[in-house]
Amino acid sequence: MSKRQPSLGRIEVSPTAIASIANEAVLACYGIVGTAAKDLAAGIANVLSRDSKRGIEVRIEDGQIIIDVYVIIEYGTRIAAVARSVMNVVKFNVERAIGVPVAEVNVHVEGLRISDTD
Amino acid sequence: MTDEKLSTVTRPSPHLATGGQGFKRLIKAALGWLQHHQTAINVLNVYPIPDGDTGTNMVLTMQSAWAEIENTSESNVGRIAHQMAHGALMGARGNSGVILSQIWRGFARSLDGKGVYHAQDLAAACREAATTAYKGVVKPVEGTILTVARMTADAATAAAEVSEDLVYVLEYMVFAAHEAVALTPSLLPVLREAGVVDAGGQGLFVILEGMLRYMRGEPVAEDVQLVEGVDLVTTGLEPGEAGYGYDVQFLVVGQGLDVDTIRQRIMEMGECPLVVGDPTTVKVHVHVPDPGVPISYGTSLGSLRDVVVEDMQAQYQDFIVKRELTPPTPPQASQDIGVVAVAPGDGLAHVFQSLGVSAIVHGGQTMNPSTKDLLEAIEHLPAAQVIVLPNNGNIILAAEQARALSSKSVAVIPSRSTPQGVAALLAINYQDDFETNVAAMTSAMEEIETGEVTTATRSATINGVQVTDGQIIGLHNEELKVSGTTVEEVVRALLREMNAAEREIITLYYGEAISESDANALADLLQQDWPEQEIEIIAGGQPHYYYILSVE
Repeated sequence: MSKRQPSLGRIEVSPTAIASIANEAVLACYGIVGTAAKDLAAGIANVLSRDSKRGIEVRIEDGQIIIDVYVIIEYGTRIAAVARSVMNVVKFNVERAIGVPVAEVNVHVEGLRISDTD
Repeated sequence: MTDEKLSTVTRPSPHLATGGQGFKRLIKAALGWLQHHQTAINVLNVYPIPDGDTGTNMVLTMQSAWAEIENTSESNVGRIAHQMAHGALMGARGNSGVILSQIWRGFARSLDGKGVYHAQDLAAACREAATTAYKGVVKPVEGTILTVARMTADAATAAAEVSEDLVYVLEYMVFAAHEAVALTPSLLPVLREAGVVDAGGQGLFVILEGMLRYMRGEPVAEDVQLVEGVDLVTTGLEPGEAGYGYDVQFLVVGQGLDVDTIRQRIMEMGECPLVVGDPTTVKVHVHVPDPGVPISYGTSLGSLRDVVVEDMQAQYQDFIVKRELTPPTPPQASQDIGVVAVAPGDGLAHVFQSLGVSAIVHGGQTMNPSTKDLLEAIEHLPAAQVIVLPNNGNIILAAEQARALSSKSVAVIPSRSTPQGVAALLAINYQDDFETNVAAMTSAMEEIETGEVTTATRSATINGVQVTDGQIIGLHNEELKVSGTTVEEVVRALLREMNAAEREIITLYYGEAISESDANALADLLQQDWPEQEIEIIAGGQPHYYYILSVE
């Protein structure tokens, strides 16, 4: 357990890097079938490839990390439960990766994918 | 044998169809059994986040499913499954609850329009359940409840191929689910690091097991009538009762951590607290009744590293992994033709069991089983027709005597060695009749060459081979052919004697005196001498013989 040595310099983690971590976490989250670009929110929800981070927005406000995720959820799942799970999973994975607390994770459900009809 | 009772052992009549009310009772049983295991499942929960609520979430989801059908008198299984799946969806809690609701959704869709389900319908429903569950995520993570759902569906499909008995199909599903759960740590690193199996997967296993217990008439909850006489300790763990604690350890990595405040909070949670560190990294160790409490607290402070939860949980691991679950034998097979095999050593017994032998009699060189042992094994089988594999020249006579005394149709395949017995078993075809099988097994057995490597117990000259007491000797089809000073040397000489170069497969069953690494080393050596042949190593665990060899 070595102490940090500030004299060596600073470590900066960019919002883009945080977005990558969050994106990975979101896509492995059960019930999520895609992320969607925020700009298109009003129009067509765009299901994007798994590498894209367009569905994730990371802001630093007053030194606090706020993450917004824009997702497409599988039709027929309980949306509230899936969204809550996204919040927990994103927060947990980002905090684990960078060691800095995440203040907020906001989940925006941009659309539903209907793969089967019952 | 005058006791007629022995020969009247039969399997209960198969359960061929389940209707709406039957399915309803299965769900009730699943819920009861899940509640019984709720805490134990919570403890396993480390993925996707270690919040220790998987068991609770699954129970709440199943409760919501049950509430939807509790008061219905619906007899159509398709309709009741839909209602129940709807209940699961509405009440889905947490990640595992959402997946579980998807599993039921697929299951119900497959049963659409069905008044009852048969084995094939159940298999199809399980397949659809797994498929639907996988669809709900972009990147399915293996080593989770998804893996368990998929492997269970595979098992259901395979079981429905061989049997129409729903109890058998469910038995096989439960067995496969258990295997899948045990596999999860090897598929998902975060589980392996924490030393746990997947909580959601374990939950699904428990649900299926609860259904199976109901179908077998076993108790599934403490409040059912049958509770008397059931040892609840062996069916699950009772956290809190024995006063144990979970040993929880983790590192919190964050910023501006206040070690004293953390220590104060941890001390309030449990016993043996140890909190050390600096504002960026804090090591926490504590014994608590609920590991979720310190872990959740740690998560609120920063990111957690090296989370270790031990003790009772480790025991639970052992318990679920070691709990005896053997693959059920297809009922048709055991009803028509049963096989009794004599095996020296547990390893060989296991080999025979895996090949579908219904009863094992322990024995072999220097410990021949009696006629009575063999007769009891034959009479206890549900099958009316029994094939006996003595697997030793000295036991054939006892087997013949047992055959003469038995009330059943018994055939003794005169196998003189383990390899002969294995070869005979591989030739069995449960679709064929008894006589055809006996003929096929006998002829398959005769094509095998057997070699045995052991220690000479006296000095002699036999067949022109001179041996002294304590030397290593090799027998080919029970005749002394080679001798030497090392096991390796004799195995090689014996394989040459057996003309292994002209054959395709060399199998080595290594005995109790030989370690697995020794056997593997020998196989590597042999592969150099016989590069064309396939060499197989099997743990035989037999006494007296270092190796039993076969070439075919």
